[in-house]
Amino acid sequence: MAAIHQFIPTFAPRDAIGTHARHAQRILRDMGLESEIYADGYRGGPRGQAQSYRSFARRGRARAERTWLLYQLSTGSPVFDFLMTRPEPKLVNYHNITDASLYRAWEPRVCVELAEGRRQLRELAPRVELGIAVSEFNRADLEGAGYARTTVAPVLVDLEAARVAPDAATVSSLGAAKRGGGADWLFVGRVAPHKCQHDVVRAFAAYRAAYDPRARLHLVGGTGSHAYLVALQRYVGALGLAGDVTIAGSVRQSVLAAVYRSADVFVCLSEHEGFCVPIVEAMRERVPVVAFAAAAVPETVAGAAVLLGAKDPMTVAAAVHRVLSDEALRGRLGAAGVERASHFTLERASRRFRAVVEDLLQGADTGCG
Amino acid sequence: MSDAIDHPQLLAEIDAEVRRRRESGELPADFERELDLVFARFAPVHAIGDDFAQVLERTEQSTHIDVLAPVASRTPGLGFVKRVIRKGVGWEMRYVAQQVSTFAFGVTRAVRLLAQRVEHLEQSGPGAGGRLLAMARAEAPPVDTAGWAPVVLDAVKGAPGRVVHAECADGALVAHLVEAGVDAYGVDPADQVPPPGLELRVDEAVDHLRAVADASLGAVVLSRCVDLLPLGVLAEMATIVRAKLAPGGVAVVLSSQPGAWTGVAADLAPGRPLHPRTWCQLLGVRGVSTMEVLEAPAEDGGASGAYAVVVRFPG
Repeated sequence: MAAIHQFIPTFAPRDAIGTHARHAQRILRDMGLESEIYADGYRGGPRGQAQSYRSFARRGRARAERTWLLYQLSTGSPVFDFLMTRPEPKLVNYHNITDASLYRAWEPRVCVELAEGRRQLRELAPRVELGIAVSEFNRADLEGAGYARTTVAPVLVDLEAARVAPDAATVSSLGAAKRGGGADWLFVGRVAPHKCQHDVVRAFAAYRAAYDPRARLHLVGGTGSHAYLVALQRYVGALGLAGDVTIAGSVRQSVLAAVYRSADVFVCLSEHEGFCVPIVEAMRERVPVVAFAAAAVPETVAGAAVLLGAKDPMTVAAAVHRVLSDEALRGRLGAAGVERASHFTLERASRRFRAVVEDLLQGADTGCG
Repeated sequence: MSDAIDHPQLLAEIDAEVRRRRESGELPADFERELDLVFARFAPVHAIGDDFAQVLERTEQSTHIDVLAPVASRTPGLGFVKRVIRKGVGWEMRYVAQQVSTFAFGVTRAVRLLAQRVEHLEQSGPGAGGRLLAMARAEAPPVDTAGWAPVVLDAVKGAPGRVVHAECADGALVAHLVEAGVDAYGVDPADQVPPPGLELRVDEAVDHLRAVADASLGAVVLSRCVDLLPLGVLAEMATIVRAKLAPGGVAVVLSSQPGAWTGVAADLAPGRPLHPRTWCQLLGVRGVSTMEVLEAPAEDGGASGAYAVVVRFPG
């Protein structure tokens, strides 16, 4: 029996990489492979789905004939040092590492981790059999870091399972606000400097001033940087938008479903996204997307969104206004978004991931790996 | 389905709408910049760019060390424990914080005094601005920018974005460009009432260009400031112009030969006009698609001393 065990810096079962790792584990086990998840840290959700990476060395001799170690890489971590000491062949599933400079001013500690992640990515390259990227953008990054053999397998996310019944109380309160008029802007993502929620607020302020003084903005997502969150809250307050901008934090899936249902437009102005699952979720829900064309975002939307080359407030505001005032455009964006999101169904992504693993096993059997 | 959306056309229409909104004057001209300044008040010092005054102000604000750590907690009882710890070690924290704050305040005070000295030197010496520059501006002969209108019009026709003229004085050249259907506006440090239909902003040329988004302008026309400002500022301005021009953008410099620059203004000005070829160097010969230097004939048929440099950047 073969085994592919996953290693992850911090396992959070509900975040994009944690969800990806759980689905990958299921697929690997369905293929008859032994597969466990090992992590340095654990955050949120029920425990028991991941073990400490240190326990891997203590597992004793009950090892599979052939064992690969699959590293879910997105930041610097002591897991890297552990992997470097292991004799097993290694695989990297690359989710991209945020440019450290985007964190320097806000979270020096995170900045160090990210810079460390870049170094580890390069140092792993000669010891990795295969680099699996979740997007072509990430694949280019892997190749730039010296990875000889790479492939693309989209992020494993179950968009259908995420479509739970919307929370009735949230639907009711959002509906009441909507009846008073005004558009609902939405962005979903961790509150962090590289997600640039302050740019969304800035553009929203311009939109209210120029087009729609009754508009509302909903920012959903956990806290990636406390310093940035505090600055964002103060910014909203100083602009006099405290009653019109909701910084909701991390919410239940049913609440998120209600927010997506109520949203008129999804606005993403991130400086860095390795893939951006929330954009796909928004497209799946027919919410038109206006986004800044940075990092992997153009590849993720593939023409199914309004992609902007600049994010000065008036440009974003005018783009949103255009989307919301042009019914035909909104309809086309909605349809194109649903079509694009269908490329990222769990079934399709699982098939691709499975094919990558089958190729790997076949290569190992024939000695061509 | 996405094929049905003509993205280039859509983006062009959005751009046109942005221009229309900005020109309409419905929002204050510095509205967007103000949004940035408000955020800068809350961002860490490292995240607010190179504005010295703003950086110093934010540093001064952060000299006060808050010893009251947040004690709220979702875990029952933990908030109480935190409050007890805070109270228990508070006297020591305050003692240390007082000394650190005093030291930090002393350092920022020294930097503030140093900044005042530097500013004084700039005002009184051959530096970038201040009193001497203002006097030179008042004494400088008017630049016949309108006389260059056919050359400038030919250069900026089809530019990939808005055209800015800095310093535009009374806006005569801007008026010519607008009449010819060019989306142009002017910037000048002198506060004046613009003629109807003209967009003239009150700002220093270099300050305005710094504040504009990168790759957002179709063409930049420089005049007057290029005769008066010191070389260091002009070199910086050339770099900024390159950054602010969209691909395929055009830079036009309207200036005078150094030898033609005489009189009181020449004595007072912190800088001197440059040779036309110097502008070609400053604007970066390597990245340039085409470059022209045009001399203006004098009324008597000789050389007038005025010239235009037109530099086109690759698309």
